[in-house]
Amino acid sequence: MPRSRAPAPAKTTETDVEPEVRADALQPTLDLAGEIWSQLDHGEVPHMRLPLRTKQNLEFRMREGVWKLGRQMGTRSARKLDGALMLLRTFYLVDFINEMSRDRKTSTLRELYYISEAWQEAKFHSEDESNLLIEDLEVMCERLREDFRLHPEENGASVIGDLTIQERNRKGVVKTINCRDDVGDGGYSLPFNVEKEKIQFVKTSAKFVIAIECGGMVDRLAENGFDEQHDAILVHLKGQPARSTRRFLRRVTDELKLPVVVFTDGDPWSFRIYASVAYGAIKTAHLSNYLATPSAEFLGVTASDIENYDLPSDHLSEQDVRALQAELTDPRFGTAEWRAEIELMLKNGKKAEQQSLAKYGLNYVTEHYLPEKLAEMGVG
Amino acid sequence: MVPPPTIAQQLAAKQREISVAEFFERNRQILGFDNPQRSLLTTVKEAADNSLDGCEEAGILPEVLVQISKEGEDRLRVAVEDNGPGILRREIPNVFARLLYGSRFHSNRQARGQQGIGISAAVLYANLTTARPAKIVSKVEEEEAAHVLELFLDTQKNQPRVASEDVMLWDRPHGTRIELVLRARYVRGRQSPYEYLRGTAIVNPHARIVLVEPDGTRVTFERATTDLPPPAKETLPHPYGLELGELGYFLKGTKRPTLLEFLSKDLQGVSARAARDVLAQSELPPGRTPASVQGEDQERLLRALHAVSLLSPSADCLSPIGALLIKRGLRNVLGEVRPDFFAPPVSRAPKVRGGFPFMVEVGVVYGGGLPADQPVQILRFANRVPLLFQQGACAITNAISSLDWRRYGLEQKGGSGIPSGPALILVHVASTKIPFTSEAKEAIAEDPEIDRELTLALQVAARHLRTHLSRRTRRDLAGAKFEIILKILPKLAEKTSHLVGKPVPDLTPVVTRIMDVVHLEATPVADPQGVRVPVHVVNYTPRARVLELFVEVPPEAMPGAAFDPAPDGTDPALGRVWWTLPKLPPSGRTQLELRFPPQTDLEASDLDWYVAGIDEAHLLGADPLPGDWDVRLPRTIVEAAEAAAAESGGTGTGEEEVDYDAAESSASASEDD
Repeated sequence: MPRSRAPAPAKTTETDVEPEVRADALQPTLDLAGEIWSQLDHGEVPHMRLPLRTKQNLEFRMREGVWKLGRQMGTRSARKLDGALMLLRTFYLVDFINEMSRDRKTSTLRELYYISEAWQEAKFHSEDESNLLIEDLEVMCERLREDFRLHPEENGASVIGDLTIQERNRKGVVKTINCRDDVGDGGYSLPFNVEKEKIQFVKTSAKFVIAIECGGMVDRLAENGFDEQHDAILVHLKGQPARSTRRFLRRVTDELKLPVVVFTDGDPWSFRIYASVAYGAIKTAHLSNYLATPSAEFLGVTASDIENYDLPSDHLSEQDVRALQAELTDPRFGTAEWRAEIELMLKNGKKAEQQSLAKYGLNYVTEHYLPEKLAEMGVG
Repeated sequence: MVPPPTIAQQLAAKQREISVAEFFERNRQILGFDNPQRSLLTTVKEAADNSLDGCEEAGILPEVLVQISKEGEDRLRVAVEDNGPGILRREIPNVFARLLYGSRFHSNRQARGQQGIGISAAVLYANLTTARPAKIVSKVEEEEAAHVLELFLDTQKNQPRVASEDVMLWDRPHGTRIELVLRARYVRGRQSPYEYLRGTAIVNPHARIVLVEPDGTRVTFERATTDLPPPAKETLPHPYGLELGELGYFLKGTKRPTLLEFLSKDLQGVSARAARDVLAQSELPPGRTPASVQGEDQERLLRALHAVSLLSPSADCLSPIGALLIKRGLRNVLGEVRPDFFAPPVSRAPKVRGGFPFMVEVGVVYGGGLPADQPVQILRFANRVPLLFQQGACAITNAISSLDWRRYGLEQKGGSGIPSGPALILVHVASTKIPFTSEAKEAIAEDPEIDRELTLALQVAARHLRTHLSRRTRRDLAGAKFEIILKILPKLAEKTSHLVGKPVPDLTPVVTRIMDVVHLEATPVADPQGVRVPVHVVNYTPRARVLELFVEVPPEAMPGAAFDPAPDGTDPALGRVWWTLPKLPPSGRTQLELRFPPQTDLEASDLDWYVAGIDEAHLLGADPLPGDWDVRLPRTIVEAAEAAAAESGGTGTGEEEVDYDAAESSASASEDD
């Protein structure tokens, strides 16, 4: 099970599903090096085994209610050029993060990509490549990338609503912030680290959280005062949500016991956004019971909404159709409800943006659409 | 009162001789003068072909200079100069300024030009478009000075008109220069003089060709050999290709007193016995005067000639380029693109269609700077003349298109059509009578016999290509493995040792596990002392190996070759040499050397290496010994080979798990963050 926590321990008294902090967060990386060294010493071709991060290797964990990696394993071996290079990169990376630990530094993912310029043949050719390797290391070491002192650039997914939090800022000062009254129109910007040592929830009057795909819709709801009228916390997903956004939603459900609804466009890609929030993403399936919010519900726009509300729509592109067909073989969408929804969209051949609700005026979404959908779902 | 003219009279009034100018105007297209760009190419082509033909007939190594310069808005001056035998003064006007005048029309042998239209048509074109005469300078060896003539072609009479005449001292011992000013346009690229001369240089590696372009750029195609092609012999006409009119012509013109003598001496392939059979079948007396055989008799004679079985036409009259010179020519001219493979050129044995011998030659070049994502370049030649137009209508193109090149390693949509890839295919068809699709002689017409030969020749060349590509794939694989063991593994060992604070382990066992091959490397090195081929054999397998090494050297390189250490066996006729290598432990290596005299024309791909005593899967840089070598192997090698075969049968270590980095693992998850 993945563990998390930056090295500086934070004192909390609450019941905690999180594991305790480990002082030697980087020991597993050195163990890995030891393993390869002894393979070399025994004249074996260096190799390591990793669970496959593929759609086919997702397994549903009843107890946690999330999709996690199954038992299918792959081998990364120095027999092949690609494998050999990835092994070499792994230990350049391990060396680098151990060095950072000694120097008490952290690095962004992008900086790491540039750091690798000095690794000669082992350098990364794209940031994707470095991100994938970090995830591999997370899986093998059962640690989070924050443990490796690596983090994404701040991406500031915003939160608007009556939620009071305490944030320990970069100077170590604890600030108390209300996400409605103490922030500007942009809302409260989530830092990349949303763990307890960074953010504590203080209190809220909200009855639910509405996670929204597009910024324009967040603005519409804020301008219409939806958060106050319906006691809601608005969270901007910014397309495919970052880890910190997903982690935030998970903590809000766990700690504040608030239901989460997901409000996206009505297209195949939005379904995937919902899946990564609720069920866990394929790439980060090793972190699912940490990042996924199994209780999150999909509000819309659904395929039937497009018909029922007679929304302005576009024809599905070839890519859209392929995406939907791929979803039909994705175990996360294996329920009867999802199959029906995907098949309906394929049948109608139409997709719609959430902002297409403006066809009926600027207030329609907050006065009619959302109240009706929420009532249907029994939320709010 | 005059009666109105009858229809016949009206028609008769319209009938008159067509002037050559009109003939030219109406046939511009088939003569190759339909636009300024093409007119230039045709002019260069006709002049250069004449130069080469002249030189070859006289046994002179050709030096051809083509100068093109600007002479006004849409005019160019074209000068073509050669070191040929020169032309006698009295012949000059007719050769250059009279259509349908030539020495080759009636001869039965392979030559570039035949009809005697070419160069005079160019002169006529120049006269018509710029009203400027053609300037001819020519000197024969016997005379002191060169003749300089300015010529017009009288378009009414098809007769040369000499505008001026002079003599001059020329620094050449012999040669000819023609200068024309014509309406023309210069372009480089496809269907350009450059392209034409380049093609000509490839198939005439004995010629030195210099092109000076209008902007002053000077392109030199150096000769790649000083051996003249054996002169094509003039041969007698063979009855199989004979038509009635021609037969009549020969019957009338012969000096033989009797029909029997005519048949057995003036025709090819007709023995005295066959001649008697022909006469018996055609019911003609052997003693009859040939000229008296006419009409019905002539037809019966021809039918009998076609019915009686005769000796095949002789191929002496053909002038193939030959495998060696195709290779030299291609290498010489394509040097700048540095192809990584020249397939051994294919030169098929002559065959006969109709009464005419023909033969097909094919060369294939692959890789280097040739563009990889485009259709392959096709260089078509007929009797050593590049064909630049009508590619799509040509039997050569069709033969290439109907071959499934995917089987030979080139890309080809649906297995037909022109394949794509970094390749160039050269095809030469030589014949005393090439069936062109039109008088313009731009494309070879479909013909089942030529097509069959084309396909066979292409297949042979394509098989060489496939062998090369599969060797290259294995070499790439080897390259990847060498990168692992030489670059990555040492660093991996160093990194992990540093991280765990332990000494760097000995990597030899891992290296042999990863490589698991015996590797042979042999690259010729040329130096003034000669061509050396150092051969390195390394056993990168985890067990000791006893091996037998074989090499096949081009037999012509065998005389003068030296081998170190002394081989355990040789077969000089076949160019085969072999050694039993000392026992090689894991990571063990051994070295041999082949030495050839200076200037030996030898490349790595000319040497075929074979190894016995190990399975193919564990062999790099060499192939297993082919069964047809029929070599009696020493007992130890047989045992080693059996052990290797047994081992390769049981290699599946069962540890086959999904390759994590090849699985479409995380790549498919690109939908996520």
